[in-house]
This record gives sequence, C-alpha cells and structure tokens, in this order.
Amino acid sequence: MSPTATRRWCRATRVAVLLVSLVPACRRGDRIVVGAKNFTESDLLAELVAQQIERRTALTVERRLHLGGTFVCHQAIVAGEIDAYVEYTGTAFTAVLQHVPVQDPDSVWRAVAAEYLERFGLVWLPPFGFNNTFAIAVRRADAEREGLRTIADLARVAPRWRAGFGYEFLERADGFPGLARTYGLRFAAPPTAMELGLTYRALADGRVDVIAGNSTDGLIPALDLVVLEDDRRYFPPYHAAPVVRRAVLLRHPEVERALAELAGRLSDAEMRRLNARADVERQDLAVIARDWLAEHVPTP
Amino acid sequence: MSLIEFYARNGREALGLLGQHLVLVGISTAVALAIGVPLGIALTRRPAWRRPVLGTANVFQTIPSLALFGFLIPLPLLGGIGARTAIAALVVYALLPIIRNTYTGVIGVDAAVVEAGRGMGMTDGELLRLVELPLAVPVILAGVRIAVVVGVGTATIAAAIGAGGLGVYIFRGVATVNDTLILAGALPAAVLALAADAGLGALERRLSRR
Amino acid sequence: MSETVLEVRGLGFARRGSDGSSQSVVADLTFALGRAETLALLGRSGSGKTTTLKLINRLLEPTAGSVHVAGQEVTTARGVQLRRRIGYVIQEVGLFPHFTVEQNVALIPRLERWPPARIAARVRTLLGMVGLEPDTFAGRYPDQLSGGQRQRVGVARALAADPPLLLLDEPFGALDPVTRVELQREFQSLAQHLDKAMVFVTHDVREALAIGTRVGLMQDGRLVFLGSPGEFRSCPHPECRAFLEAL
Repeated sequence: MSPTATRRWCRATRVAVLLVSLVPACRRGDRIVVGAKNFTESDLLAELVAQQIERRTALTVERRLHLGGTFVCHQAIVAGEIDAYVEYTGTAFTAVLQHVPVQDPDSVWRAVAAEYLERFGLVWLPPFGFNNTFAIAVRRADAEREGLRTIADLARVAPRWRAGFGYEFLERADGFPGLARTYGLRFAAPPTAMELGLTYRALADGRVDVIAGNSTDGLIPALDLVVLEDDRRYFPPYHAAPVVRRAVLLRHPEVERALAELAGRLSDAEMRRLNARADVERQDLAVIARDWLAEHVPTP
Repeated sequence: MSLIEFYARNGREALGLLGQHLVLVGISTAVALAIGVPLGIALTRRPAWRRPVLGTANVFQTIPSLALFGFLIPLPLLGGIGARTAIAALVVYALLPIIRNTYTGVIGVDAAVVEAGRGMGMTDGELLRLVELPLAVPVILAGVRIAVVVGVGTATIAAAIGAGGLGVYIFRGVATVNDTLILAGALPAAVLALAADAGLGALERRLSRR
Repeated sequence: MSETVLEVRGLGFARRGSDGSSQSVVADLTFALGRAETLALLGRSGSGKTTTLKLINRLLEPTAGSVHVAGQEVTTARGVQLRRRIGYVIQEVGLFPHFTVEQNVALIPRLERWPPARIAARVRTLLGMVGLEPDTFAGRYPDQLSGGQRQRVGVARALAADPPLLLLDEPFGALDPVTRVELQREFQSLAQHLDKAMVFVTHDVREALAIGTRVGLMQDGRLVFLGSPGEFRSCPHPECRAFLEAL
C-alpha cells in the first residue's frame, strides 16, 4: 500500500471508529440489543429473549444473532455493543473466568454470578432450566435390550462396544479421560476420534455404539437416541441463562421481570425438541420462539 | 508451549501421524491413477463419454468433505469409519485432475504423429503405449501433481472420520483452542504439499524436455 | 508392366451426413500400378487425392469398388497387417518426437520382431539411402533436424520394412523451394532403383511431371486424366489445361 493510501485508510478508520462510538449514545433510551453465539441453540434462545422483551415491555429489540464464539460475545457485551446474550454457566466458569472445572452446579452458579457482576457489571438472570452438557448417547434399541439407563450401566457392556468421540470431548479436562476414570469405562478398542457431527451419523449407522453428543442436540430425538444419566455427576453443569448489562436493568427493570417469566421453563428434552425444529425440520427461529412463548408463557 | 517444544515432547506421535498422512495420500493417489488414467484414455476413444464423465468428476469435487463422509458412512464396501472411507473420499477428489489431464494429454498429441503411426500399421494399443502415453506423460504428471498437492491438504480432514493423519492435531487444536496444536498439524502438511509440488514439478520438467 | 502391385477398381467413398444424405468424396477410380512405377496423383485441394491414399491403406473404409495390394483384396486383410506392407509418408512427416532418428526408422521392424542386428543394419542402409550420414544422425531427435532432414527420415521410416507399395501425401509440400527441388531430384533417383510401386500425391504440376512415370489428374473426386507425362502435356481436358497453364 502506498503512503498516501495508508494515510487515507487511517483517516477512514478514524471516522468509522468515531461513528461506531456514537452508536451506543443514540441507542440509549428505548432500544435493547440482544446478541447470540454462532450456533442454533444460542440464536434460538436469543430470539426467545428478544420476543419476550417485546411482548412485555415497550422497548424496541435489535437482534445481532450468530455473532461468533464465546470470546466475541463476551467482548461485545463488556464493550456495550450488545446489552444481553445467553451464556452457559460452565463455559463462563472455565473459558471466561479461567477456573478449573467444578462439578457442583450451585457453587458454579454462585461463583459466576458474583464475579460477572463485580468484574464486568453483568447480571446473570435465572437460568432456563436445561443443562447443555456432554451427553453419552446410545441407540434406543441397544439401551432397551441391555437395560441401560445410566453411564454406570454402560460400563458393564463397554468391553464389547465401540465408541466414537469428537476431538473436544477426547481432549478436554472435563471430557473422556476423567469420565473413563470415574466410571471405570473400557471399550473394545480405543475410542475413534472423529468430527462431532459425524459421530451421530456413525452411531445411527451402527459403525460405533456410543457417542458423546450435546445433551440438548436436536439430533438426539431425531435419530431416536437415548441419553444415559450421569449418575455420578461427572460432567460440570452448563446451565443456560440470560446475561444482561447491569446499566440496562437499572434503567429498565421491566426487562428483568419479563425474563424472570422464562426461568426454569425449558427442560433438556424441551430444548432438544426446539433445536430439532430448527436444525432437523429447518423451521424459522422466530416462528419456533413465538409458538413456544404462546404455549408456555401465556399473557395473563 | 512452543512448536519446537511440542515436537520434542511428541516426536514419535507426530512422526506416526505424518506416516499415516503419507499413506493416505499415497494410496488414494495410486487408486485415483489406476481409475483415472484408463478412464481418461477411454474418453479419447469415446468422445460421447467426455461430458458426462468429466461432469460427474467435477460435481464430486464440489461436495464438501464432511458431507461426503456423511454419504460414505452408510455405504457397505467403501463406507464405515476409518482409513478406508477417508481414502475413498480422497480418491473422489483426486479423480478429476487425473482424468482431465490424461484426456487432454492424449488428445493433445500432434495429430500428424498419430496419423503417421496409424498409417505405418501400428495397432491402437501400440500407438497408445509407444506414442500417445509417453508424449502425454508431462501433462498427466501435471494432473497428478495437482491431485497430490490438493490431496495432502484434503487428507487433513481424514481426521474427521477417525483415519488419523496430521489433521488429528488440527482437529484437536481447534477443539481445545490451542494454536500450537493447530500449527503442529498444519505446518508439516503445508511443507509436505510444497515438497510434493516441487518434486513432481521437477520430474515434470525433466520428462517434458523431450 | 511387370507384376501388378496395386490394383484399384471402381473405388468410391461417400460420407454420410447427419441428415442421412450421403456426399460422394471419391468416385469410380480405376487404375493399376506395377513395380518401379510412380503414379503422380495431381489435383487441387479437396479434389480427393488424400482420401484416395487413405482408401488404399484403409485408414478410411471404401464404400464402393475394390483395392488389391500385391494380389490381396484389402478389405479382407486386417488393417494393421495391410498397413505394415504399405509405406506411408505425409507432409507433416509425423516423426515421433520422443524417439531418436534410429528409433523412428526402426519402429516397424521392431514391432515385427526383427532380430536387433538386422534392424541396426537396415537403419544404417536406409539412412545412407536417403542421404543422412548414420553416425551423425542416428542418435538425434527430430527437433534437432531441419525440415528437409526430417522428411528424409520420414521416407526412410516408410521404407523400413521393405514394403512393395509406398504412399506419399505431398511429402515435400512444406519445404522451402531450394530444399524441395533437391529432395525431388534425390527422390527420382531413389525411386528408379527402388523397384517399388508408388502413389505420390501433389498439387504441384511441375513436381508431378518430374516424379511421375504416370500422371493422374483428379477433379471433384474423379480421375479426369490418366496417362504418361507426355500425354498429359497434350491433354485437352479443361482441368489439364488449367494445370498446364500454371507451368
């Protein structure tokens, strides 16, 4: 790039930065920006939050869905670019706050809520209820034939079975190595390392017998899989809850009241069904959110 | 942890993955040659096949690798999980440049040379073996070169289906947000691709001198 | 005329159009050729000369008439076997660029599985015959030769298996005028002691009269004149006159 072009470019950047910094100032008042991470469940929950605010308050909601990963959303809300998004307790605890994974849901929740308020001025509202953690899944026919309900039951048949796991599950501190120790799991062969999405396919086609999916994945009901219960509470909790800027809640307490109505309304199975409508049936997120709100959070 | 430290600590594993990677690319290229060269020759003898065959190979190449794995898993012979499926996918991707360049190379042999050969009483097989193929070798080799370079890169996705290779480091690194790990897989793959490109390029130049 | 090497009777070739109609390219050709005879086949471009050669060695299948080479009806012979007994030289020469001069000339003897010593001796004889010093030229590749040298190799290659019949399709057409005249002269003397039947296609009337022991003039796929060079000079046919005016 020539020096002149560079200078021009710098000036353009400065103007752009100036304009962007003006945006929050204009926005103050009756607008609220809801962000989401770059996967379906996050988009879907953001849409639920957005519609619920629209239903219960006079605020205008701007949606900025599919922004990026955890880091991007966190930076955006800390910078005030977005006012709210849905985060998971376990992710906040390990990825954002950099703590070593802990199994007890209550202590994670308390730590996350307190540190977010203190360090970032962010408020954790009550969670939706479901826990999006790793889910050890098997085919329904196998579960019924072998009488499998828990992961401890699985340990009994594991020596005859093959497992296919995603790289994240195989590598993470709270993934397979610890699970194998906790339950004494030994498979017929070392688990095959695969792309997560393909593990579902491999399980459905009988190429492997056990996978580790996500507990709210829409493919679980779609492929008629059974999630085995983590009876020894090995997996850390990943409860989803809206995270909102304190400044927004102080100015608009009606937002907190509106979102409190969603607390505890979504079970794992319910979330799976909503994800399946989006991912498997390819329905519009706004429609799924509207249907669900109309049915489960009726206007008095 | 720096990359050098990483290799110092995981040298055996890294070499093993490199070996798997080479085997994946080697076998898939060999199979693609065994299918692609005869098919490319057949196209020069049956012009009507050209469009459907090249069209199909073209479409194959545009299938995203994960989607291709998705199709392959349920297949009885090529399918499943592991190296065989990965090789099947790599063959699919390597076919187009090999078929196309074989066809182009053979059809591009000077018409006068072919006519002279035929007029002298060479059989189709003799003409192919002694004249057309030797003269087409540089062009075919250029196709192989493309196939190998693309194959070295594409073979990293073999790790998505449990077939190992350098992609294992890349997938692990992406899953755990570990840049060193991603580099540990991506860097040797890139070096391998460049080396294959340079080596086959030199061979191609040497053979096309005559 | 001693024994007949090539006998063409009522030869015709029609190309079938995509609409099912057939278009005649060559029709009703009849002539015979014996040893040490050279038929100069003269005509304008598109008059059917090259097609005629290809009908004789069956690079094209005749749609009418018959061709006998050394007494055998060509349609009953296998094309490949037939062509090995007919030398073929084309204007573009078509030397194999990845073969040396020696390998080019030796190709058919090699495919016919001659003993190596016999092949080597034959190559040297032939190269000498076409005026190329074997020690200098045997190891060269075609791209190291001049146009005239390449065509000499082309002739040597066509003679390799000692065929009784030689077909030449404007062999000197692409050469510069000086080289051309030089090669025509050498070819004449070569033809005289080779004792072969030759069909020599050209559109150059000078060349036809110099090389042919007989001249055939083709127009629109038909032979409109067949006779000695002397007879050609006094031929009243308008096409003959047209060519003679070009002298």
